[in-house]
Amino acid sequence: MTKELNFKSPSFFERIKSMLGVDFYRLFHTPLFYIFLVISAIIPAMVSCLTMMPDQSGNTMEPLYSNVWQIIAASEPLYVVRSIADYANMNMVFIFGGIMVSIFIGHDYKSGYVKQLFTTHAKKQDYMISKSLTCAFAMACMCLTYLIGGIAGGAFAGYAWDINVGSLIIAILGKIIMSLGWASLYTFLNIIFRRYFGVSVGASFFFGTGILIIGVAAIVESLSLPASFLNVFLYGSSVNACLTSNIGTLIVCIWVSFAWAFIYNVAGTYILNKSDVY
Amino acid sequence: MNAIEIRNLSKSFRGMFAVDHLNMTVPQGAIYGFIGENGSGKSTTEKLICGHLVPDGGEIKLFGRDYTDPGVRVRVGALIENAGCFPSSSIYQNLKMQCINLGIKNADEEINRVLEIVRMENNANIKFKSCSLGMKQRVGIAMALLGDPALLILDEPINGLDTDGMRIMREILIDITQKYGCTVLISSHLLGELEKIATHYGIIRQGKMIMEMSAEEMDSRAQVFTSLKTQDMDGALRLLSKKYEDVRQEDGYIRIYDVQDVERIVSFLIENGHVVSEIKKNKIGLEEYYIEIMSKQGGKKQ
Repeated sequence: MTKELNFKSPSFFERIKSMLGVDFYRLFHTPLFYIFLVISAIIPAMVSCLTMMPDQSGNTMEPLYSNVWQIIAASEPLYVVRSIADYANMNMVFIFGGIMVSIFIGHDYKSGYVKQLFTTHAKKQDYMISKSLTCAFAMACMCLTYLIGGIAGGAFAGYAWDINVGSLIIAILGKIIMSLGWASLYTFLNIIFRRYFGVSVGASFFFGTGILIIGVAAIVESLSLPASFLNVFLYGSSVNACLTSNIGTLIVCIWVSFAWAFIYNVAGTYILNKSDVY
Repeated sequence: MNAIEIRNLSKSFRGMFAVDHLNMTVPQGAIYGFIGENGSGKSTTEKLICGHLVPDGGEIKLFGRDYTDPGVRVRVGALIENAGCFPSSSIYQNLKMQCINLGIKNADEEINRVLEIVRMENNANIKFKSCSLGMKQRVGIAMALLGDPALLILDEPINGLDTDGMRIMREILIDITQKYGCTVLISSHLLGELEKIATHYGIIRQGKMIMEMSAEEMDSRAQVFTSLKTQDMDGALRLLSKKYEDVRQEDGYIRIYDVQDVERIVSFLIENGHVVSEIKKNKIGLEEYYIEIMSKQGGKKQ
């Protein structure tokens, strides 16, 4: 028996909507997302409670932070960190987020579910866009739990609360917006290393730490370029969203995050189109 | 219209052709048995059709459209190598995700429908990792059946199943082609099982299609023979060899090929003092036909 067949091509938005639907369903129905939300809350709380650190001589003790909000963002854009206090802020979410994205995408491949996705979605860009947006959402949520954990820890440690509220909100918003760029980077890395889960996790961690910015900073310095040039990079812009931020910082974050998200999505789609996906 | 039309399709891995200028035609509504040795290129061809692999060259058309057309690909269901389910999620959750992926609005109704087809309506809440192999294969079929697929691509769906599992799978496949008008491309090493359901066959070897035919064509090409047993098998074999062209002793029987006149054979043997203890008309099956083709091609069956 043969039947009349009608093939209606789904629009771009219908395709993205359906794939986003799958990814969000997975995100909310597996423990991974919730585990990382908890980790993102616990880490700043723990760091805040390390209120005393030995100084260089090892004798006297001095507070790690002086203000609750330093747990959320640095006081000024410190592209090359000098101490754990400079480093341990909401930017750490981008490290945990990288690991979460690797596990999330890795499960697609390990379970073989990716075959179902690529069988029914002829356009590979659907996969890149959907994963980038879903993971960006997850990382934005992690930023929020980090904020809650940081505030709780800071309150427990008894730090000061005074702050320029506008700058604080811009710093938090900036970091949340940067999640899109970071999520796209990690999705791209996981597409490149899709057959090697360990390498994916390692690469995501490596990029998330922002170690590469040290080398770039040295080049920028040798070329006598302004330090703000580093803001064109994901890590640079993430650091730039600090407690002295202004509206210009937020605009830079939006531009940088969306530009890198676009670049990584185009590059990831190209790789998926040109290579075997499973 | 043909469901699948492939012309000059090629795919190589490290310079070795896994699929070598393959041509293939699967008519709409057919159950197409895709047969070949291990490594002959069956799975690679199926993965190419599903867009999992990038071809080196050639053309794939599904229902007259290019295979990269999202409209046609959303109507393809596949079970390749495994069901592609998340082990820690329940059968229901896995099916629900595929419903969302396909944009199915009445998901619960659709899940019940496909679970009924694969006889698993009472197992929806079992975690996928707790399923037996047979159940996993059926979940894979259920996943592929969601959303009214026009084409099903099934890679070895009956391997590893017990007799009952095979029977259920056979019934399911016949059901879905007859009730839903779905075209099925199925590869399997279990040729006896395939023979019971396939309407068309394609035989692939070293990445090349060496023969395509319908079940009727295979039936007409398949050799008929009469097999018999006597008390003196050697004597009867010598005697029959003098009278008939192609007489062989195989599997404990004397086989007289291309002859089915049982009465004449029996009376000939009795006239020459042989007592026939067993005699039957026969036709070589898909498996033997396949072996014959492969031996002509210089290959061997797995």
